Amino acid sequence: MVRLKNRYLLVNILYPGLDNKNVDNKNVDPKIPDVVVFNQPTTDSLTTHALVKGIKTEVSNLFGDHGAGAIAESIVVKYLSPATSTFILRVSRAQYRLVWAALSFMTILPIKNGKSCVFRVVRVSGTIRKAEEEAIQRARQLILKARREMAEQGDSTLDNMFGKADYGGDSMKDTLMVDREDSDEEDEDLSDGD
Amino acid sequence: MPPKRATELSAGIARPTKRKEPPQSSANNQKSGPNGRDKRVKLNFQDARSILTQSADTALSNGELDLQSFLKSREFEIKALENGMQKAKKSLTTRAFQEVPRDLRRRTASHNVKRVPKRLENRAKREMREDNTPTVNPSKRKPGSSRGRLRAETAKRLGILAAKKRDIKGKEVDVTAISTREARPKLRRNLLNDPPKPKSKFRKRQIHKTWLPTHMWHAKRAKMTEPKNPLWRFSIPITCTEKSYRPTHRATGARGAVAWDMSYMSTISLEGTFESLEKVLKAVGVTDQGIWEKKGDKWRSGSRSWCGWLSREVKDQRLQIAPATIIWRAQSCEETNDPPKRKPIRHLFIRSHPSAFLETWNELLRLSKLQRPSVHVQDLRFEIGSIEITGPGSTEALLGILHPYQLPQRGIEPHGEVFKSLAGITNAASLPPNSLLGFSIADPRLRYPPRTVVVPKPTDEEANFALLQTLSAWPADASTTPSALFDRDLRFKATRFPSQKSINRRKAQADPGCYPQILPTDQPIPIMLLTSRMTPTASAQGTWTVLAPWKCILPVWYGLVHYPLSSGGNPRFGGLDEMRQIHFEHSVPWFPRDFPGTSAGFAWETDGRLRRKADWDRRPKGKRTAWDSLDLGGGRKGEIGYGWACDFERLLLPSPSADVEQSAADITQTTQKSSNEQAPSQQVPIQHFTAKAFTSLLSSTTAELPRPSTVATVCITLTSRGVAEPCARIYHIPGLQPTTQCSDNKKISSKSIREQWLPLIPSATKSKPPPNSKSKTAKEFKSKRTPLNTPMPQRIRLLAQSLLQNPPLPYPANKDDGHPLVPDEEDLIGFVTTGEFNLAEGKGVAIGTVLVAKAVEGLRRENKAEIRGGRWCVVRNAGEKVGRLGRWDPV
Repeated sequence: MVRLKNRYLLVNILYPGLDNKNVDNKNVDPKIPDVVVFNQPTTDSLTTHALVKGIKTEVSNLFGDHGAGAIAESIVVKYLSPATSTFILRVSRAQYRLVWAALSFMTILPIKNGKSCVFRVVRVSGTIRKAEEEAIQRARQLILKARREMAEQGDSTLDNMFGKADYGGDSMKDTLMVDREDSDEEDEDLSDGD
Repeated sequence: MPPKRATELSAGIARPTKRKEPPQSSANNQKSGPNGRDKRVKLNFQDARSILTQSADTALSNGELDLQSFLKSREFEIKALENGMQKAKKSLTTRAFQEVPRDLRRRTASHNVKRVPKRLENRAKREMREDNTPTVNPSKRKPGSSRGRLRAETAKRLGILAAKKRDIKGKEVDVTAISTREARPKLRRNLLNDPPKPKSKFRKRQIHKTWLPTHMWHAKRAKMTEPKNPLWRFSIPITCTEKSYRPTHRATGARGAVAWDMSYMSTISLEGTFESLEKVLKAVGVTDQGIWEKKGDKWRSGSRSWCGWLSREVKDQRLQIAPATIIWRAQSCEETNDPPKRKPIRHLFIRSHPSAFLETWNELLRLSKLQRPSVHVQDLRFEIGSIEITGPGSTEALLGILHPYQLPQRGIEPHGEVFKSLAGITNAASLPPNSLLGFSIADPRLRYPPRTVVVPKPTDEEANFALLQTLSAWPADASTTPSALFDRDLRFKATRFPSQKSINRRKAQADPGCYPQILPTDQPIPIMLLTSRMTPTASAQGTWTVLAPWKCILPVWYGLVHYPLSSGGNPRFGGLDEMRQIHFEHSVPWFPRDFPGTSAGFAWETDGRLRRKADWDRRPKGKRTAWDSLDLGGGRKGEIGYGWACDFERLLLPSPSADVEQSAADITQTTQKSSNEQAPSQQVPIQHFTAKAFTSLLSSTTAELPRPSTVATVCITLTSRGVAEPCARIYHIPGLQPTTQCSDNKKISSKSIREQWLPLIPSATKSKPPPNSKSKTAKEFKSKRTPLNTPMPQRIRLLAQSLLQNPPLPYPANKDDGHPLVPDEEDLIGFVTTGEFNLAEGKGVAIGTVLVAKAVEGLRRENKAEIRGGRWCVVRNAGEKVGRLGRWDPV
């Protein structure tokens, strides 16, 4: 029997707010930590249909009909959580690079009046299980980070007086960015180390 | 085209939807199965695979970003993902029949729920209903053939008959109310024993053969001998159905244990005065040095067994029959102390292989009738069964199953006490050689399921010391109670088991976690434990043999194969193939296969010939070895003798190589003739020569050679790569003198062949030999290797030179590809009987049989310096032209 070989891409939607920073900042409560703004929820109007459609459009832009045809069969959204701006895509192993490239080039949400955003592929794995595990780990780290930033803000008066203390927030950031090796995977195991 | 950029601020915040959505499931865009049952299955499947998600609103508070809701949404995600993974794991799409352990899987289980174990039957039924699997319906099954219809009709009529009989029986019980027990089966002196009468249900299947006591168990888990083709009139397991080669190797050497039901081994009992017995035994070849003097005291007193070859005298010639074990019954104190009015009657068992049973029996019967006072011979074939077990866990497993019989407030037999003190032994060979223990055990069903026994830790100094003391002092020698296994009444009493129902009741009444007490009504089961070693050293794994009454084998076996070893897992079981494999891994020949010089071994070889010939015949012409067109190099053509046989008849022909160039028709004709001839006559053309005699013959340079048709078994270790297969030809390295025969058509003299082989013999200094003459080129290359300190430019130049100099590989490839020519037929000395890759040695090893006279002659005329003292031979697989160098040793 032929086994279908797939890749599961774990993708985060990030909102760095580059284009309309000034407008954004006005609206957002200054007490909210940057992490929360950065990883803010995505609108519910981004359905799986819209997402797949957007990716397909982008792939056809970049790679033409060949690319669009190659991925059209295999691309499936296995998990889409608007509340946490995370989704897991399933693509056939041969074409996952096309999808990844398309995701990298997408700068706005593929909906009407979509916000500008960044699609960041954080994990490519051969089984959905590993992608899920990674998502869990990242969620945990985000919670920790958000809490820490909140605590830092609380201490900001002290920081102003004595200078900013180094909490190792950078190191946390490093762990978030670091490429993870995973021996379970049969094939390549890549993540987007920006 | 990508969607337009959002310009509005509110775009980032989710717009209120018309209706409040429940936590939705992701991936809800998948197409769901359209119809009926499929849909339900698919829905279930989807349900298990989907992961809960939240809408964006939950991560916001009133449309604004908020830390608390952010955290909450992340926590929800973590939980949802974890939950999803759990669900996916639980609802893996496995069917019930896929969860059955490997050795219980049946091919038909996927569409017949009755083929899965009971506990999975309901689930399998449901699954089959759900996905509409076509399944068998016994009421609608039609007999396929007219014979099948007949059978079905007969079965139906028999059923009616049985029902009538049952009815009548039920009425009769009221009338008579007396039921008699089955009579004790008769054991006649000097007459063959009948196999046990099977239940009527199974009687028809055992007309030409007998089932082992564990037949039902084995038939489900092992490949058995074909029903029409039993082996030695038994239905014997050949090999496990599951893959077992490597697991067996591990279980015997590293971890675990392997058990065999060896009830097919035949036991013969001899009774008579000591002097008569001694005469009989001496006549069948029990004449080892010192065995009838002081050295054999322990054996004769019944505390050791003797393993060796039985033989018979025919026309001034000793013919070896089979290896056997001889056990004397110990004499109790009263027996020895009483001043004898008459000479005391001694009693002994001879255990031998069933393939040589009739030969042994006839010989013993003949000899026993010659003795005055006479010796009585009894055939105990279906009276005494046996189990063999080997491996590091074997002692532990036996300790967990065999519990010495002990009534409350009574002692255990001394041998049972010794046996219980053996906990911690990982090798049966560490016991005194050939030691034996005879005691009685309680019904193993009382302690079923078995529990792991407590084994002292290997670091426990005290326990180790005690164990060592036991092993060196061996207290079992001190007590001389005769084993109850020799007593026919006790053997029979032991087979009258309490019913399983009553045992279950007693087990239910016992305290939780306790075993039921042994009652005086429980009969002790007499057993005997023998240890044996394959090789004389104690380093190799030894084997335990349990002798017990035939009908008591089954409960012991059930306990044994379910015993949880402390190293994990259960003991494995093996068939004939595993037995052969274990022997092969110890480089020990296995009876009967590796002894074609005995009549049993030759019968095996004849069988093998027919089988291999049939295999060969079955293949299409293009896909089978064309024996007659095999090119042996040097103008020689055609396989020597029949390629599918260890052709000793050809080897013994007075003028070999006279009919080298035979046509295919010739070959087939002769085979037909020979197979026709072989079937009735069974004349063994060769005689076995024991390893001991062979070794002594090899050590002396002047001893007289035996007759030319004697053969001996050798173990061949190949020096290079390659594996010898059964039927491979064994040559010695050709001698110096060129032979005069057929020198006209021979292009290459034996001298040049010799010169090709001699350099391959590895030197005594353990340096690795060149694998074959191909390495000559490698050597040349090595000599040209650039020294390490060459400067770079020069190095490059040298490299370029070497690249240009080496001519490209010729095409087509050189035909003789560097292998030395195989020797001629006059150098053929024997054949390989067993050969494969040896996992213990890590290379090809073969067990073969060689003509003693030819092998020794070849060795004597050799120059010791030239062949570096070794016994070298060339092994060539049947149908191949490549010969490989090997070293042979007598075994």
